[in-house]
Amino acid sequence: MSDSQIKPQLSFGQALAGFKNLPNWLQSMINATSGMLILLLVWWIGGILISANPDTEAFAAFAPEATFSALWYLIETGSIWETIYSSLSRIISGLFWGVVIGVPTGVLVGYFLMFRQIANMPFQFLRMISPLAWMPIAVLAFETWDSAIVFLLAMATIWPIVFGTAHGVQRIDPNWFQVARNLGADGYQMLRRVIMPAIAQDVFAGIRLAIGVAWVVLVPAEYLGVTSGLGYAINDARDTLEYDTLAAVVVVIGVIGYLLDFIAVTLIKRYSWHVE
Amino acid sequence: MTTKASSVWISDLSHTFKKQTKPTLKNINLTIPKGQLTALIGRSGCGKSTLLQMLAGLLIPSDGAVRINAHTVTKPSAKWNMMFQKPSLYPWMTVRENAALGLVFSGTYKAKQDRVETLLEMVGLAEHKDKNVQQLSGGQQQRVALARSLATEPEILLLDEPFSALDAFTRTQLQNEVAEICHNQGITMVMVTHDIDEAVAMADKVVIMSQNPGEIVGEMEVNLTYPRDRSVDEFISLKEKLFNEFEKIDIAKQNSINEDNL
Repeated sequence: MSDSQIKPQLSFGQALAGFKNLPNWLQSMINATSGMLILLLVWWIGGILISANPDTEAFAAFAPEATFSALWYLIETGSIWETIYSSLSRIISGLFWGVVIGVPTGVLVGYFLMFRQIANMPFQFLRMISPLAWMPIAVLAFETWDSAIVFLLAMATIWPIVFGTAHGVQRIDPNWFQVARNLGADGYQMLRRVIMPAIAQDVFAGIRLAIGVAWVVLVPAEYLGVTSGLGYAINDARDTLEYDTLAAVVVVIGVIGYLLDFIAVTLIKRYSWHVE
Repeated sequence: MTTKASSVWISDLSHTFKKQTKPTLKNINLTIPKGQLTALIGRSGCGKSTLLQMLAGLLIPSDGAVRINAHTVTKPSAKWNMMFQKPSLYPWMTVRENAALGLVFSGTYKAKQDRVETLLEMVGLAEHKDKNVQQLSGGQQQRVALARSLATEPEILLLDEPFSALDAFTRTQLQNEVAEICHNQGITMVMVTHDIDEAVAMADKVVIMSQNPGEIVGEMEVNLTYPRDRSVDEFISLKEKLFNEFEKIDIAKQNSINEDNL
């Protein structure tokens, strides 16, 4: 009897069946980790190929080892925190204005047919304009670079929030209004107890999209005049040929973007009223 | 737990909707004494739901008035509370939160939260009070709507075909329960239905309405005690009498419309 006959062999099918028997959370974690490992592998292979090619070896610092070492240096010296703080404060300011203007506008668009009919074409027109296209106007209209960037971010965030909110309002069951009126609700109670909980998940879904767009717009927007923020850090690293730092900032952008999206998804789940 | 009942007066009420030339309701005069259970019965489109919405203050009549305890009804109030065909519960709330909503709106929830517990027990949902309402069956959801309506201690309970979407068994059970609750607590009830069985099972008086325009064309007293046994001869003969009355009036009305159109 040979060794191969004695050793129990696990076929791919059996392994797959075993994997499917694992708890859902464990399967999900294994899949997510696998995805990240594949990304790292592709990056690592890319780094080797870049280093091996004499035409591209100048960019070898984009490889994972150099990048993580630069990232560690940025964390150790603490300079990354100030960069992150600058960018996040701009994102939060832009998002704040997006919510303050977008949610009430979305309620009007969703609730009043006439308002929807009047606003539809202009809003669709404005929505299609890239937020970065407002850059020259922002530079002219605002005194500081920071204000101009916040304006660009607000322009990026407002439309997903308006349309998300309007969609939520349109989905409200008209009977909910009738029942609330019948139970003696006043205007504020109607808003607080009926409209806001009913649309919360749609508003947060709009905010999630808005965060995605704003985060993408942030980097080119921070090329504008300012001397802080992740966009500035990328531009600065490129100018000083510090490609490892550039790649480290890109990693930071990805991680923070993921965390912001995670927060938005958590809020959507928290305020979702659909029972699975 | 008893609730103060009240009287309803509907005088010379007519209503024509905007962009319509013919009235939906014409010369409605009706008095409903305290604690009486009244069923409005008629074909679809005869305006009985419109009339009920006027009693609830959700619609204002073009002419005439609805008075409850000498107050002219001009807006909705938790004191004249309506249960709709769909329970229309708020899906982001639990059973208890839904039932307590009227008290939350009036700012009396803290003082009266025991009432919500008692009502949920009365409608058989005490053990489900912390569940989300989406986890309940259709019949259970309608029970939550009933508890929600009763929590505000309404003087009048208005029912707009609230059981029509339920299965026959649950419907019968809820019809009996609601009629008994209203009867025991002295709540004046006005119900819209096109189900003759439901009308006889629940009401003290059945008001027959015709359409084009909606008018009151007949009334029938139902002198049966609660709980009502639907299998007894008296119940069956009252149903037949109401059906015959309804058919007779309906044919007469259709003939008069046809003559008018000639």
